[in-house]
Amino acid sequence: MKLFDYARTSRVSDAVGLVAGHPGGAFIGGGTELTNLMKDGVLAPDLVVDVGALALADIGVRKGQLLIGATARMGDVAEHPVVRERFPVISEALLASASPQVRNRATIGGNLMQRTRCWYYRDVGSACNKREPGSGCPAIGGQNRWHAIHGGSDHCIAVHPSDLAVSLTALDATVLTLGPDGRRSIPIGDFYRLPGSTPDQETALRHGELITAVEIPESGPAAGSRYLKLRDRATFEFAVVSVAAALIQAGGVVTDVRLAFGGIATRPWRSAGAEEALRGHPLTQATIAAAGRALVDGAQPREHNAFKVELVQRALADILEDFGGRK
Amino acid sequence: MADSDALSTGERSRRNVLKAGAAVAVSGGVAPLALAHPAVAAESALPPPASTAEVTLRVNGVRRNVTVESRVTLLDALRERLGVTGPKKGCDRGECGACTVLVEGQRVKSCMTLAVMEDNRDITTVEGLARGDELHPVQAAFIQRDAFQCGFCTSGQIMSAVACIKEGHTGSHAEIRDWMSGNLCRCGCYPNIVEAVRDAAKGGKL
Amino acid sequence: MSPIVGSPVARIDGRAKVTGAATYTADTQVSGALYGYLVLSTIANGRITGITTQDAERSPGVVGIFTHQNMPRLAVPTSQLAAYWKRVIPLQNADIHHSGQPVAYVVAQTLEQAQHAASLVNVTYDARTPQTSLSGAMDEAYVPDPGLEGPNEVTRGDTEAGLAQADVRIDVSYTTPMHHHNALEPSATTAVWDGDRLTVHETAQGINATRLSLSEALDVPLANIRVLSPFLGGGFGAKGPVWPHTMFTAALARHLRHPVKLVLSRAQAYTSNGHRPEAHQRFRLGAKRDGTLTAIDHITTSQVSRTEDLLFNTSEPTRMLYACPNVHVAQRAVKLHLPAPSNMRSPEVVAAHGLETALDELSYELDMDPIKLRLRNYTSVNPDNGAAFGSKHLQECYRRGADAFGWSKRDPRPRSMRDGDTLIGLGMASAAHTAGGRPGAGARVVISANGKAVVQVATHDIGTGTYTVMSQVAADSLGLDLDDVDFELGDTDYPFAFVSAASATAPGVSAAVNRACTTARRSVIDIAVADPRSPLHGIPADQITVEAGILYDTDRPKLRDTIRAVVTRHGEPVEATTNPVPIPPGYTTGAVFAEVRVDPRLGQVRVTRMHGIFDAGRVLNRRTLRSQAIGGAVWAVGFTLSEHTMVDHHLGRIVNPNLSGYLVPVNADIPEIHIGFVDKPDPANREAFGARGFGETPMTGMTAAIGNAVYHATGRRIRDLPITLDKIIGDGEAG
Repeated sequence: MKLFDYARTSRVSDAVGLVAGHPGGAFIGGGTELTNLMKDGVLAPDLVVDVGALALADIGVRKGQLLIGATARMGDVAEHPVVRERFPVISEALLASASPQVRNRATIGGNLMQRTRCWYYRDVGSACNKREPGSGCPAIGGQNRWHAIHGGSDHCIAVHPSDLAVSLTALDATVLTLGPDGRRSIPIGDFYRLPGSTPDQETALRHGELITAVEIPESGPAAGSRYLKLRDRATFEFAVVSVAAALIQAGGVVTDVRLAFGGIATRPWRSAGAEEALRGHPLTQATIAAAGRALVDGAQPREHNAFKVELVQRALADILEDFGGRK
Repeated sequence: MADSDALSTGERSRRNVLKAGAAVAVSGGVAPLALAHPAVAAESALPPPASTAEVTLRVNGVRRNVTVESRVTLLDALRERLGVTGPKKGCDRGECGACTVLVEGQRVKSCMTLAVMEDNRDITTVEGLARGDELHPVQAAFIQRDAFQCGFCTSGQIMSAVACIKEGHTGSHAEIRDWMSGNLCRCGCYPNIVEAVRDAAKGGKL
Repeated sequence: MSPIVGSPVARIDGRAKVTGAATYTADTQVSGALYGYLVLSTIANGRITGITTQDAERSPGVVGIFTHQNMPRLAVPTSQLAAYWKRVIPLQNADIHHSGQPVAYVVAQTLEQAQHAASLVNVTYDARTPQTSLSGAMDEAYVPDPGLEGPNEVTRGDTEAGLAQADVRIDVSYTTPMHHHNALEPSATTAVWDGDRLTVHETAQGINATRLSLSEALDVPLANIRVLSPFLGGGFGAKGPVWPHTMFTAALARHLRHPVKLVLSRAQAYTSNGHRPEAHQRFRLGAKRDGTLTAIDHITTSQVSRTEDLLFNTSEPTRMLYACPNVHVAQRAVKLHLPAPSNMRSPEVVAAHGLETALDELSYELDMDPIKLRLRNYTSVNPDNGAAFGSKHLQECYRRGADAFGWSKRDPRPRSMRDGDTLIGLGMASAAHTAGGRPGAGARVVISANGKAVVQVATHDIGTGTYTVMSQVAADSLGLDLDDVDFELGDTDYPFAFVSAASATAPGVSAAVNRACTTARRSVIDIAVADPRSPLHGIPADQITVEAGILYDTDRPKLRDTIRAVVTRHGEPVEATTNPVPIPPGYTTGAVFAEVRVDPRLGQVRVTRMHGIFDAGRVLNRRTLRSQAIGGAVWAVGFTLSEHTMVDHHLGRIVNPNLSGYLVPVNADIPEIHIGFVDKPDPANREAFGARGFGETPMTGMTAAIGNAVYHATGRRIRDLPITLDKIIGDGEAG
């Protein structure tokens, strides 16, 4: 790890100013992600600004919006009674993430900013367009079992790893930031960028811009929302496939539905097509199958991940049938 | 190795040495409203960033001052500077849990945090659990249940178990298994670990 | 029967391990030690054309950067007991044989400085296309010359004739991936020179092998080298052989006249201390309608490196487990640009997995209960040579295991057992591994005037309980209380012991401790009865019993003396030393059972119950032995369901050299595990109280039991491990 300057401040504006003023500046929250990336030589900031002491850790509801401060710890959010009862998909996604120790430290903002687990990205001995633009993407023709079937490009097929981000995508969250140019509210659907030809540019954030909070509307389906995560061991693993679902039925038909997916795409994947296939229809085998087909429409499986096309449809069916009260 | 030795040949003399404690401000209670509209400070009392800092770690109740480069993890500060080798380095990436310690009573992986980030905090390692000859109930239960073989993951397992019990995640075998899954045991003592945690949780007085 | 041996004594080193006081290699504090860090090759095949080290050398704290151009020259150790299985040493020339091969060794004042400087070393290569795919190079397979475990091709009878006689034949192939030991303690070395004497703190399962390798590599007299390893954070075979990084560290400590400490990173451990190689197995089985095996043809093909071709996945189960007149076994190798394989826990598990899965497949072809099929082919002698086993109580294991597991409640039809939408499967297999037939150990005991004994063996406690069990053996053999015995290990100054591997420690070291302590006890008796000041003076020595530190006349127990008094009057400590005696060949077997629950729609497999009943000879300590058995079952879960080292075949590079992509089981993967033992002494191991080696056995069989249970649950026979969710849902399996 390169030697870097470290600063800690309790003022948000100081933190933003410091990083904005240094081209090689970076924020550190809980440290559970940046320390790894620095050890691996993937990131090498020369200034690290600790935002852990910023007063941004509150969790509460205001005017129909759940507001989660960026430095709130994953574990605290997961176990917060309001989150558990009224936004269960967030709690479930967080509890399915990492380990208790990491959840005690990792922040909400840091979680949203975590980098892909693509092993080529994390191995400086391999080429990677995301880490080193123009160097190539060995994943496309290599070991791509864990890679994306949606949202990839000829430059990158790395999966976004955050479970939380998937749940927030389902609930139409907004990311609140403060940057050198002031405050912004960024809908989560615009927050993560598709890799295209610039996979190194992952989010809408500008240099020095800090996530201060996440805002989640307390919409109808949030209270009954659920998260399903499939993986190759019982826990303490990133998703092979995951689904966040929020759904309301009235009069025997689906009146509101939000579906987002993890493990299958280069960013948290909202499927308008799958939602469309359900909205206004009853939950039946046929409509669920139609939603699944719409979900994988246009999927681009690779040599080792074609199973995700089938698996994610099954995961969707599984979670939807739970809403239907039967399996 | 004494910390002065560790850094005597480094760049310390050519860089700012920051007393990291000076940078810490206590964060007061802020209403949720403030989250969306963080106040922009009128003036800044920000100490200059530095690549090396003197930090104070309260390790098992003892104040330990150590000068560390900013890149030194809490784990390496404990092991390589302070001679506290109970926490183990199994992966250095937060993937095994052998380095688990309590910071301010919460279990964390000490390989994933920097020592400068933990200035003035209470650190409890496995060395700090027993009271003299009297083992902590979790330690005693681990021996009784043979909840380890090689013992390398054990200090992390025990620290995790102490926290797991305090958190109240010991309602069933399944719950213990889930909440102890951040600690790998390659010898494969998991069933014994679960029994030990259950015993210690039932025994009360932790 | 002795009171201490056999009782489930809690670990004597337990307190040290739960308080953090146990000093593992990297915990050793050596004043002024410099920190080493390796730079590894990023290509898998080719030559180094240039190394730029200026930036690294100028980096703060750096003491030296050592490449093939300036690394001290080292000789390849060749003695078998040196356990250096490689035939080359890196950093001696520009050749690259696999990705992850050391290309530079950085030494700096601090760990962080060394790690950072390592990232500044810039290596250029003349890279050639690597070949790392086993399936892509099967046509290059060959049978290597006899290796460590004997010939790689063995024929008994005539398999083609046997297959021709069969009523039922199956021809099946299985593949198992590359696996890594992943002991939680990474390999570490701290080398300290004092003049021409070298002390090495090493993560070793074989301190004597390390010592011999260093002696040969560095050309230092054996007597000048001391290797210490008092606590080992798991080895599983990775730390049994000796590896180049240990030699580099010792050589550089000499060169720099400064202690050097090197700890491998987790990623480096994937290419630095061996692995279980990817293997392809083909089984052809023939059987009569009643289940009698007429032939087994078993061809294993596994990866070896470009520079060595020792094979470690051996085929003993096929040769030894069942009575079959016609057996052909061939172990083939394919040279790939990957690191050298090595021993890994339960080397015979690969063959056992194939054989025990093939038997399950055969049982379905025959419509016969799989236990009945195994009993039909039971053998009480080693079919390879007709020799009797010391003891073998496998029939009892089947019976007890089946009862405890509830085997009779199993409906054998696939997909016949359900709980709602969840499929339930029950599977079984035989567990078996060779144990013994290795060089044993010596031992030294000193009884002091305080009535306490110190027993020393240059062996190891790799987590198996050596400290505890050997203290029990010594206490019983000496006639002392457990508290009055101090067992010491992990120091080459003590009498020789073989590598702690291949289930050799319990039988080999127990026998040595027993021999030495029995001799010492006899000496104490002889001194007592010859001493006019002893109440026992003049009584025939063989009439004296020693228990709990007291000597007494067996017929008149009130006539007594104490060890403490005898040795005190004697005026000097009583000592005894014994030389190593080879361990008799042994075969440790068992019956293992697994229950799985499968979600057929989502492909999720969970093992929900495991049972194992084993014949390990006499049980010296049920508590520690049970833990070993549980550990084997946990390893079986990983082997069968999740562990897989993946290689990018274009780059020749391991892509998951970590513990987040290489999935060892976590706590939540492991259900209740029920373990039982037959606990009857093996007469071939009398000196070891009838104990037989055990550690390698419990993983074997269980892998197949889990796979067989998955078949029973789903009707899908997944012959390519690990059995992951994509394979369960594969080919459009109905949800």
